[in-house]
Amino acid sequence: MLLYAVIPPEATAPDGHGLANHPLETIRSALAAMIVEECPDRLAGTNDESRTFAEILCNLPATTPLLPIRFPTMLATRSAVLAELQANETAWSKRLDELRGLSEVVIRAQSPSSDRELDAASRRSGTSYLEGRAATLRRRDASVAEISQLVRHWARETKVLPSQQGIRIACLVSPADIPQLRDAVLSWQQAGDHGEVVVGGPWPPFSFVVDQEAESA
Amino acid sequence: MSDDMERWSNEQVALVDLIDRVIGGGVVISGDIVIGIAGVDLVYLGLRLVLAPAHEVEESVALRRRSA
Repeated sequence: MLLYAVIPPEATAPDGHGLANHPLETIRSALAAMIVEECPDRLAGTNDESRTFAEILCNLPATTPLLPIRFPTMLATRSAVLAELQANETAWSKRLDELRGLSEVVIRAQSPSSDRELDAASRRSGTSYLEGRAATLRRRDASVAEISQLVRHWARETKVLPSQQGIRIACLVSPADIPQLRDAVLSWQQAGDHGEVVVGGPWPPFSFVVDQEAESA
Repeated sequence: MSDDMERWSNEQVALVDLIDRVIGGGVVISGDIVIGIAGVDLVYLGLRLVLAPAHEVEESVALRRRSA
């Protein structure tokens, strides 16, 4: 069984088919339910599969709170799914209540000048490179602090995501607040030398399935 | 860059982030496997399978090495 998401037990079962072209089903326990699909073959985990999986989750009714399951997670039988639900339903139910009506957006900011400066510094000497790298990290930290401060009016939670280039910050927001958050971030971009800024979403709360206190414990 | 090109590019960037979240975020399920031969259980493994994008794994390994 391919696992898609945890939803409240009273939520309406989704229509439609999944990745393996089998109907989506809902397995319920007392406090939580899980959207699954009978999937006899192992998935290769390709980009196309990941994208289709994401589209299926994004197309679920926005009114249904959900905890996405990391792709591609599979369990052998319905009873294994039910056992997993029963083992975690209290924590999942609590988190579903906290996430009700909220979505995730990801802010990505990349300053092209940082890469150019670092490249030039690396040609001069090792010391120049290290100084340039330290300056890039200081700018990165300053940008994270500025964006976090900027979105605090609308974001219930934020999380800095790993990124090889630039910064990425996931924000948990109400869909009604997204236009204001997007405008504020784009104003910040235009006001300074912050390079390209992209605000992606709204998506299911992939980065917020566990509350941050529990995650850091 | 024209508006259309910029929009296309931003959509692609957002799509990359969405796919990154699909395989790097979400609930992680633990599992158990019993390896057996001819119906006889031989080895029991408690598993916590974590799939993550390569850059997250690299970053996590680097952090662990620095703190060691």
